[in-house]
Amino acid sequence: MSGLYDETAAEREMATHTQQESRKGFFTDTTLCIGCKACEVACKEWNQLPADGYAFTGNSYDNTGELNGSTWRHVAFVEQLRSGALAAPAAPPPQSPAQSQSQSQSQGAPTGGHQVVHPDAGRWLMESDVCKHCTHAACLDVCPTGALVRTEFGTVVVQQDVCNGCGYCVPACPFGVIDKRDYDGHAGKCTLCYDRLQDGETPACAKACPTESIQYGDVEELRTRADARLAKLQREGQYTDASLYLRDTGDGIGGAGAFFLLLDKPEVYGLPPDPFDTTRDLGRLWRHAGYAALALVGVTALAALGTRR
Amino acid sequence: MNVSNETLPTAADTGAVPKSASYYGRPIVKPHVWKPYIAWYFWIGGAAGAASVECVCARMRGADALATVEKRAALAGVLVAPVLLIADLGVPSRFINMLRVFKLTSPMNLGSWILTAFGGAIGASTFAELLGWKRTSRALEVVAAGLGPALTVYTAVLVADTATPVWHEAGDTLPFVFAASGVASAGAVGVAFAPSQQNGSARRLMIGGAIGLLAAGAAMEKRLGPLLGEPYRTGTGGSFRATSGALSAAGIVVGLLGHKNRTASRLAATCVAAACVLERFAVSAAGKQSAQDPKYTIEPQRARLNARRDLDLESSG
Repeated sequence: MSGLYDETAAEREMATHTQQESRKGFFTDTTLCIGCKACEVACKEWNQLPADGYAFTGNSYDNTGELNGSTWRHVAFVEQLRSGALAAPAAPPPQSPAQSQSQSQSQGAPTGGHQVVHPDAGRWLMESDVCKHCTHAACLDVCPTGALVRTEFGTVVVQQDVCNGCGYCVPACPFGVIDKRDYDGHAGKCTLCYDRLQDGETPACAKACPTESIQYGDVEELRTRADARLAKLQREGQYTDASLYLRDTGDGIGGAGAFFLLLDKPEVYGLPPDPFDTTRDLGRLWRHAGYAALALVGVTALAALGTRR
Repeated sequence: MNVSNETLPTAADTGAVPKSASYYGRPIVKPHVWKPYIAWYFWIGGAAGAASVECVCARMRGADALATVEKRAALAGVLVAPVLLIADLGVPSRFINMLRVFKLTSPMNLGSWILTAFGGAIGASTFAELLGWKRTSRALEVVAAGLGPALTVYTAVLVADTATPVWHEAGDTLPFVFAASGVASAGAVGVAFAPSQQNGSARRLMIGGAIGLLAAGAAMEKRLGPLLGEPYRTGTGGSFRATSGALSAAGIVVGLLGHKNRTASRLAATCVAAACVLERFAVSAAGKQSAQDPKYTIEPQRARLNARRDLDLESSG
């Protein structure tokens, strides 16, 4: 009997996550990304996700296009080139770092990456995008079946055997990450390689990344590392416009498990500048729905009053 | 699969800075993936909920024929609704998973419970009536009428509780649009099918609801502002909305002028019902349009960020 009891206790421990792991996540440092897409391939391989077909978008080297139900890593390519820079490289007027910085700030778009390889041509931004594993996750909040759960690693995962493909998570996600798949009807997104994490392994994308642009680890430690990296870049003056995206726990999603070091505004990479979990407004939404319901009853009662049938 | 024909001119093409920088004009948030079943459900469920309230109101003043019509409408609604909802699921065989949890943060989950309870009440009431248990039947009608308003408005909360710009930002006004649509539809059902000596209240409901639909729609568009109002003025969303408005107006005029004529009344009821259906399709289409163009996501969020930064500067300076 005692053996049976032990097993039940162990099972209970697993089910309730009493054995809490530290929160795991990604820090994606875009200054290190070389656009090799090894993360995309490793993710598809490990998670046995089908190819998206042969598509030519014409958008730089990005023929993946977006994250969706069967694409859980997506490398964005942003070409910020001066007009005619490739045709006839002309020497730019000499600029102090301060000048060029204020110029790129005021115009908000490409004036040319100053001290990169070709100072006159511009710059090429690459960013490997992924599910953010939000602290306040809209997809998880709105999921009507409880198929989306938070794991013991603090990540957000779709239980494929529970999801009935209602599609509510799709418009709820502030990042447009999760999507419904045609081929099996379920919703799909990055699991942070839940199966690998359970065995103490690194997620496939981070493992495959040759430049450590994708760094995996404890979120707390990654945040410290990201802060140090940002400080170093700013100190050295090479990437003075670098900023951390979703590292701050005070934002609309309570900070992300997967956050980024970016070199331009988030929207340039296809990311929302001020994302928020829609559920934060749910109380107000229901309150107004309550007023509308009262109005419905009031109007119907009023129409019936004083009537001769 | 991922081909996009949309590309914004880049700085390199034009030598100028694009107004709202985005990633090749691609969407940031995903448009909803619901098929037209869901827009139909929003209308049918909403009308069924309002019909249950009208049923009880009619019953209380002895207009039993009208009450019966409204009750049958509510019953028809709850019979069709689950079919529409299940047809839209990616894995229809797992529809029952909707009820495996009770989850306050999910309007769709709460809605599934509301629909189940409402359907149970209307179904049981009808069954009791067939058995001749009049009092039980009437009591269950009241139970359904208690749930009906929730059934009518929860779908507005459901769509507003997303990252879809024109839905989320219209969260305060959308429930009134849906409530007005429900009321007008329930009224239209009464006008079309109840005997004319009993359908006075249904007519007032139909016309009042149609006026309310126009007013709530206008309030919503005003609230959304010039940028976010665009999807309701352009494209498919704009066409649906304009047609819905014209049909509402036609229904109001015909309903008022032709109230003594049975055919005119039925024509008015058809116009109003069609207006209500099209309003739901307008909401669906506008939601999709607002998700597909990243400017609707970026510009309000940028404005919010800038406002916060100004506030910070003010408080620190």
